[in-house]
Amino acid sequence: MSDAPKRITLEQWDLQYEKLRVAGAFQPYYGGPLSRHLKDGDQRLLKLRYDNSAAALRLWNFLLTEKNRLREARAEGKRIVGTMKDLGTVPVMAYSFDNVVAFYPDGAWWIPCVMELSAGLLEIADSLGIDESFCPVRAMLGAFVTGAHFPLPDMLVCSVGATCDDFSAIAQRLEGLGHPILWWEMPHRRNPEPDETAVTLPGGFSAPKRQVEFVQSELERVKTALEELTGERLDAEKLSAGIKKANQVRRCLSELRHLAFTAQRCPVPALEMLIAEMLAIHFCSDRRETIAVLGELLDEAKARVQASVGVLDVDAARIFWVNPVADLQVMNLLEDCGGRICGTEYLFSHALDEIPEDLPPLEALAQMALADPMAGSSIDRAERICADIKMYGAEAVLISRIPGASHCALEGQVIAEIVQEKFDIPVVEIEVPPVTDSMRPTVRTRLEALVETVEARRRVAPK
Amino acid sequence: MRTIVYTCPYVPAEWIAAHGLRPSRVMPDSVGSVFSLAGREGVCPYVRGFIAEVTKNDRGGAVVVTTVCDQMRRAFDIVTRKCELPAFLMNVPNTWQSAAVQELYTDELRRLGRFLIRHGGKSPSNDALAAIMLEYDIARTSIFAARERLSAREYAERIAAFGRDGPSSSCVLRDASCVERNTQYAIRNTRYVPLAIIGGPLMKQEFRIFDIVAESGGRIVLDATETGERGMCAPLDAEGLREDPLSKLARAYFGGIQDVSRRPDSELYDWFEEKLTERAVRGIIFRRYVWCDMWHAELGRLKDLIDLPVLDIDTAGDFESEENRTAGRIGAFMEMLQ
Repeated sequence: MSDAPKRITLEQWDLQYEKLRVAGAFQPYYGGPLSRHLKDGDQRLLKLRYDNSAAALRLWNFLLTEKNRLREARAEGKRIVGTMKDLGTVPVMAYSFDNVVAFYPDGAWWIPCVMELSAGLLEIADSLGIDESFCPVRAMLGAFVTGAHFPLPDMLVCSVGATCDDFSAIAQRLEGLGHPILWWEMPHRRNPEPDETAVTLPGGFSAPKRQVEFVQSELERVKTALEELTGERLDAEKLSAGIKKANQVRRCLSELRHLAFTAQRCPVPALEMLIAEMLAIHFCSDRRETIAVLGELLDEAKARVQASVGVLDVDAARIFWVNPVADLQVMNLLEDCGGRICGTEYLFSHALDEIPEDLPPLEALAQMALADPMAGSSIDRAERICADIKMYGAEAVLISRIPGASHCALEGQVIAEIVQEKFDIPVVEIEVPPVTDSMRPTVRTRLEALVETVEARRRVAPK
Repeated sequence: MRTIVYTCPYVPAEWIAAHGLRPSRVMPDSVGSVFSLAGREGVCPYVRGFIAEVTKNDRGGAVVVTTVCDQMRRAFDIVTRKCELPAFLMNVPNTWQSAAVQELYTDELRRLGRFLIRHGGKSPSNDALAAIMLEYDIARTSIFAARERLSAREYAERIAAFGRDGPSSSCVLRDASCVERNTQYAIRNTRYVPLAIIGGPLMKQEFRIFDIVAESGGRIVLDATETGERGMCAPLDAEGLREDPLSKLARAYFGGIQDVSRRPDSELYDWFEEKLTERAVRGIIFRRYVWCDMWHAELGRLKDLIDLPVLDIDTAGDFESEENRTAGRIGAFMEMLQ
């Protein structure tokens, strides 16, 4: 652990960087001062608050250099696979090949935020008939058209079925623009009927064995396509090794989440935790480095907990956060309002749960795919959220609506009702567009109200 | 007889009827689309209307919902929490190319069958199912055959009535006065501009669109909405029907209905283009609900792929308050085409 933990500005980070450099702190190949990313147009960085540790610097630099890594991979002759929608499944398979790099074109949904709408991606989506009534993931269309944010993949894979309509519709529009897609079917996860063999999935949901077998057959199809693309056979041994590596990431994140959500003083801010969690879904285009980045962050968190220090007040309101935010700054805002994150469900809990290692690997991956919280009912998802609220001791829930996302229209109501039935804790729903500047006072007021409600409830029923 | 309500065209009415139950395809009222789930933004008006219809339904014995669209899939969660009707969520795959997904659909029909038996139905024999399938197929054929003799609205209403009440409702052109009236209609209207309408399902009040088009000098000769011809399954292949009727039924529905939810949805365009040519269509009304991403995203694609004028009409589900605007837009479109 270096300095006293605190959240600092980009300007302060440049000073902090200089200090670390002079002190001889390790710098990975993608290292450097954070402010250099401004020249890429990442203007939002100026408005964020960052953790001041070397581990956080490495995390941010790793995130913000993904485009370069993908270009380098292309130059090295690696096959680039765009995996869409499944959030965590196909990349585990793809990274089991020797010569494949997988990434999520869906991740382009953060470009309008990071570049403060200056990249013009949403305007391109508009021109293709995909307007603001769609989820900000529509930025992906613009990214494909400009080719400026990632190299065009050698292959595109997309899960459909029990997925959100907006993404499915946008992906279809993309295919119509001349980007062929391998579609694979993800059935709606349902509870087994009395005469069916039940399988308990990673994370605790249950599904009929028949559904697992079906998903396995779909993943087999994806595997065959990847083998054809690469000319390399992916046997069970290689896939098992890939699963073990993915589990290394997941175990690390599990420990990190536990520390961040339960320590008396929060050791890692919400924004860095969000980014750390996101690494699980496709390893930010470098699995080995992901393990190293998360390892360093975990070490920093452990050291802070050991020293009883953290980045927030000890009595910060404990908030469970549902859905990722399109504007990263809102994670800062929660902390500015006196809250801290104690539990998250950012749509990809299945990418955080360990994949079974005692099963045939493709079956294990199929189980993991089916464990996707979005593949089942909102009631299932709410139950999982409730289990985590209990585990992490959250005092309130914040449901962050993604503008235009088909699932957000109805699921928030179901989740809020179930949480309130079980715990009688406050639930607030806010909508977060890619850049919240114009509505910041409104969002702030709602976050403050939530924090104040938690504080008032503590006064009524002191622990 | 217990009534099983549903709205998705991929639910085969024959399968429900063969279980000794009464299938009824719900057509929501736009009033429900305005008032149900008040305060929730982003909800498709049709889904609102469907939820309102189902939750107030006092005749239904059970409800069947499908996964064809995400909002409807999630509406199932609301229905199960707010409504006492037994509810079944049928998984309808989006992909369609492989034998595995076709088998998945057939498996879902079997699972639906078990649900129906739990709720008062009885397991049908192959003969019984085949007989009902033939009866429905004959009724559908007679509706299709009547198309040119009916006004566009009457034709759409026949299809809707068939969905709501089954073959007994169709009695297409059985009485002489109806034949006479409609023959005269066809003769009177030979100078119309032929149009197609495409989109999701219509709500009750929206059948007025057919009149508005007629009043403006056009005629919908192709109703490719979900509640129109596009939502009707393929003609039955009667050969060997009694040996494995369920597979034939699955093929007619899963293989025969082309929808925007399919991935890829290329077959929708194959079907649509063929019909547009066959019926010499000169313009397309593209009708979509706000917050329906599936259809909304398709507008640009349709314009790219089909070389005909397209009129985009979005609706928030409150047809009455939107009627003047809709009529004005259709009128302008017709002036352009005439």
